[in-house]
Amino acid sequence: MRVDTTQSQTGSYPEGEALDRFVSWRNNTSSFWQLMFLVATIVGIIALMALLYNIINSAFGLVAVQNQVDPNALVLAAEEKNMLSAPNLVTSEDDNELVRGIEGKPYAIGFFGYAYYQKHQDKLKILTVEGVEPTTENAESAKYPLARPLFIYSAEGILQKKPQVAAFINYYLTTVNQKIVDVGYFPASEETLDKARATWLKVNKLAADATLPTVEPAKIKGDILVAGSSTVFPLTERLAKDFQTEGFGGKVNLESIGTTAGFRRFCIEGKTDVVDASRAIQSAERTACRAKKLEPVEFRIGTDAIAVVVSKENKFLTNVTLDQLQKIFTTAQKWSDVDPTWPAEPIQRFTPGADSGTLDFFGENVFHTTLADLPNDQLIEILQTATDGKGKQIISKGKLRQLENEQLFYEDKFLALDPQRHTAECASDKPPARCTLPPRSQEEVYALVVELIVKPEVKGSWSLGDTLFNRSAIELEALQKYPDADLEFRSWLRQDFITKPQSSTPELAGVRNAILGSLWLIGITISVAFPIGVGAAIYLEEYANAIANPFLRRVNILIQTNINNLAGVPSIIYGMLGLAIFVRVLEPLTSGALLGVAADPTTANGRTILSAGLTMALLILPVLIINAQEAVRAVPLSLRQAGMALGATKWQTIWSHVLPNAIPGILTGTILAISRAIGETAPLVVVGAATFITFDPTGPFSKFTALPIQIYQWTARPQPEFRNIAAAASLVLLVLLLTLNATAILLRNRFSRRLS
Amino acid sequence: MTINNQPTTNGKYALELQDVNCYYGKFRAVKDVSLKIERQKITAFIGPSGCGKSTMLRALNRMNDLIPGAYVEGQVLYHGRNLYDPGVDPVEVRRRIGMVFQKPNPFPKSIYDNVAWGARINGFKGSMDDLVEQSLRQAALWDEVKDKLQQSGLSLSGGQQQRLCIARAIAVKPDIILMDEPCSALDPIATLKIEDLMRELVQNYTIIIVTHNMQQAARASDYTAYYLMDRIDRAGALVEYGPTQEIFTNPKNKQTEDYITGRFG
Repeated sequence: MRVDTTQSQTGSYPEGEALDRFVSWRNNTSSFWQLMFLVATIVGIIALMALLYNIINSAFGLVAVQNQVDPNALVLAAEEKNMLSAPNLVTSEDDNELVRGIEGKPYAIGFFGYAYYQKHQDKLKILTVEGVEPTTENAESAKYPLARPLFIYSAEGILQKKPQVAAFINYYLTTVNQKIVDVGYFPASEETLDKARATWLKVNKLAADATLPTVEPAKIKGDILVAGSSTVFPLTERLAKDFQTEGFGGKVNLESIGTTAGFRRFCIEGKTDVVDASRAIQSAERTACRAKKLEPVEFRIGTDAIAVVVSKENKFLTNVTLDQLQKIFTTAQKWSDVDPTWPAEPIQRFTPGADSGTLDFFGENVFHTTLADLPNDQLIEILQTATDGKGKQIISKGKLRQLENEQLFYEDKFLALDPQRHTAECASDKPPARCTLPPRSQEEVYALVVELIVKPEVKGSWSLGDTLFNRSAIELEALQKYPDADLEFRSWLRQDFITKPQSSTPELAGVRNAILGSLWLIGITISVAFPIGVGAAIYLEEYANAIANPFLRRVNILIQTNINNLAGVPSIIYGMLGLAIFVRVLEPLTSGALLGVAADPTTANGRTILSAGLTMALLILPVLIINAQEAVRAVPLSLRQAGMALGATKWQTIWSHVLPNAIPGILTGTILAISRAIGETAPLVVVGAATFITFDPTGPFSKFTALPIQIYQWTARPQPEFRNIAAAASLVLLVLLLTLNATAILLRNRFSRRLS
Repeated sequence: MTINNQPTTNGKYALELQDVNCYYGKFRAVKDVSLKIERQKITAFIGPSGCGKSTMLRALNRMNDLIPGAYVEGQVLYHGRNLYDPGVDPVEVRRRIGMVFQKPNPFPKSIYDNVAWGARINGFKGSMDDLVEQSLRQAALWDEVKDKLQQSGLSLSGGQQQRLCIARAIAVKPDIILMDEPCSALDPIATLKIEDLMRELVQNYTIIIVTHNMQQAARASDYTAYYLMDRIDRAGALVEYGPTQEIFTNPKNKQTEDYITGRFG
């Protein structure tokens, strides 16, 4: 061909400066678009992150849980009962009696307030606990496990405004060490008391190294309000009595309500001057006090410590662990039951009585079992005997009978049921379920105790973001709003949540029904849609294109266009279609009646998993077909030709070459389709998925719910906790989706590897 | 109805073309070709691009049927039977008349399966291992691949892949092998190997090869057919056909001479 060189004269390319401008403009444009694409990617990622954050933020976080009955108290009561029912036990409120009992007996053991031990040092041997000796220092620093600090608290403002309170505390700090041993506690060291006195001096604007001014009770007027720990109560009571004996004319109003309640009254209600406390003030309580313009002031006045003692004749014991202590005072019969190296002699036990605080304190420190660890018998006993705050039995005889009617507690024992009636009913034609069911397991009884007695109730919940960055404010809010509730970190997404069925109580609700429903649904959807979709794609790509007849070609084009359009039809319309066809017209089939499956009356109207699965299959079919067509089209023509040239039929070529090579692409399309189907809600609503269902789907003809439906239902509930579990369910849905997709991707990779 | 492999009355020729016209829809790509292809000889189809030689080749084993709208008029006689008779099954035709393509196109399967697949789908009964070995030996590939039969066919070099395609084609025991520019994607050394192989194979098979490479046609073929596109209706037509020796040394047609001397095309 001849090149016409004169043509180039008709135009010109930029040169020199113009070229520079042109090149830089061109490069700028290029950079601009690169930047735009980057921005688009970043915006996308940020949006995804925000979505994830939003879900995770609600799925985890602090909750304020209020129990109707404190589970620790239940455990303590159960263990104390064990302790008090152990053989060879002597209980007495008189320490002398306990000392006399232990003295001279090589196999006796006992415990009581440390102060009593000090009085009888010559007769008894004290044991170290967990290797720690109960010295003043170890007790005060709480290294010794059976010790707790004793405090009184007041506030700067109160001390300054109410001289009677300042004087009483002054009197307390001056004389406590002479009296504390009588009450049974471990005196504070001089340094500790000096520190407390210095605090007093500082609050009263006196030099820190001065001595406390002498108190003359007779000259002091006004009343003093004290509330708090029952442990400190007898000590304060003693001091108040002495204070009055020495001439104080005012009243000391003393209440034993517990440390936590004492702080609440002090910091939140502002109704007491002094708090008796057997633990240090917590930061949330301090914050609450400051919010009331009260700066808490702490005075350490002693230590409550328990001495574990044996007689001087005991040669095998010098140290015990807390584990051993628990066994020694509860279930063990002989010493050798606790430790095989110890003698096989019966244990003789000496403890303070059930009414004493020492026994409770011992139990709280030694018994580290949780409610879930308690044996079946004890849990059942709790179920039978637990009482609420007013002393009323929580589970009535009737309720117990109802529970036992559902399932027995013991194989051979009855709590409330009439044994003869049970035997008669089991022998009848229609025996109730309890006749064949095994008795309730420990876990089941535990669940009952939690559900019926402990009754944990989430009073408030906070997001993960607040939990991490705003914890003190949450603590304060919880203390003010939900004083009886415990603040704990809650992952709403936990094992229970996945394995438990739906419930109307958010704490007890789980997604098992929904997960199983979703899996059934996806299973049916895929097993219907996949073969049809792949088949249609192969027909359209491999056979329809080879048709020469112009009329049939036009029909094929029409079908193809329809499929493309169907991929864009809103899902609710598929729902309507499913309702009209599968639920209504094909009801005998979709309800299982036609196949002779005994229809459950609640599902008989065709609103079954099968209906929903078929509807979903219709919904994803266009997407599947289009993607499968792409995949089939992408198989190189040369492979088909190679196959045909060897004398293969069309089907042999498709089966051996086209399909295996298209499978990775088909699976990619399937992933998209699954993703769509698993998250789809609207058609399920129309086809009649149940929004509240508490049982697992049993088969394709069963009533069902699915994860998105469950989430949708929960977000619509008024209680805020439902939003937490909706977020947790969203995470479950995401994980389920990722798992299904990962399976498809693994499959695809395996196929791809095999091919290359 | 099937085509049997028995030589017919006219045993000298493998294929006889009578007034063959190839169409793509309304367009006539090849017109009025008549020639006779001799048994156990290499026949080369040469000509400039667009002259219809590939279309002609594909018409010989009905590969054109795969293209919607393509059809053939005239007769292609194979053992006295027209391949385009309504009763003839194109799948059967392709079994008898194999094909090797321009670009090596082994299946994405193992070397063994590449060779065995054709036999399997055609109902081969006997020792598959022996068949695979025999085919690979005939294709002069056995020594290079005998230790890696389970490796993918795609792992071989281009020349090896093409020889694998030839082994695959001869494994179904065809009568005729059509080769559509089998060396155009290969380097000179691989090309020479294929040519040597063709000379070996022609003792048992009839080979028809389309090539752009004049030297290849001169070196390797026994007969040469020269095609050229008609300037008026743009259909390919047979210009000259005869023993290669004659075509290259003493062409009867001016256009043929222009082409083989490099003055045109």
